[in-house]
Amino acid sequence: MSQGSMILKIISLPLSILLICLGVMTILGGHITPGGGFQGGAMIASGIILSVLVYGLGNSPLELSHTYVEVFESIGALGFIIFGLIGLFLGGFYLYNVGTDLLNVVPAALQNVLHYPDVTNAGIIPYLNIFVGLKVFVGLSAIAIAFAGFKKLVEESE
Amino acid sequence: MMLSLGPIIFGLILGLIIGSQIKLNVGDAKFTLASFVVIFIVGIIVAWQLGNFPFYTDLPISTAFLAALIGIFVGKLLFARSK
Repeated sequence: MSQGSMILKIISLPLSILLICLGVMTILGGHITPGGGFQGGAMIASGIILSVLVYGLGNSPLELSHTYVEVFESIGALGFIIFGLIGLFLGGFYLYNVGTDLLNVVPAALQNVLHYPDVTNAGIIPYLNIFVGLKVFVGLSAIAIAFAGFKKLVEESE
Repeated sequence: MMLSLGPIIFGLILGLIIGSQIKLNVGDAKFTLASFVVIFIVGIIVAWQLGNFPFYTDLPISTAFLAALIGIFVGKLLFARSK
């Protein structure tokens, strides 16, 4: 199911890689610039989708396996919930920012572990962005890969 | 100068995760080592033009973008699947 011309095939993988890097940058700047997990994840997924559309399913250099999608979708959802529960047990309410700890109720050692290492005092917000980004990236990519697979099935049955 | 480690560490991790899924030698488009050198140079130029996040005064280039690019290449070299 190869669809693109040679020019498209030569330019798509480099563009996909740059799009993915831009998506990662958007995820990691979510606490300080516009963007965040969802937007960055969608940008990464757009890189994968570009590659799958141009090279076709089965020939794409960037293609996610079923296990990969399962694992990272689960890690994204579970990570978010676990960080929420850490806040619930230590701070008293769900998604309490234990890395910043405005109420001074979290032990200092744990606060240091969960504090995102940068110049801002963001706490666990970047981690939540990363988990959301992972989940959105594999989720949107899986949708596009599934549609490409359905199309391939229809073409084969005709 | 205080180096912000967050974007570097997590950019590398996310790059490794995504780079592990790159596989070459499929289809009829060939990418050689020179292609990836060109992509890396273009990536450095893009990172420099983007600049770093606000309040991050360690480097004049986007460390998250560059870390992700390096992570993708390292992930491809370490974990990439063959067809």
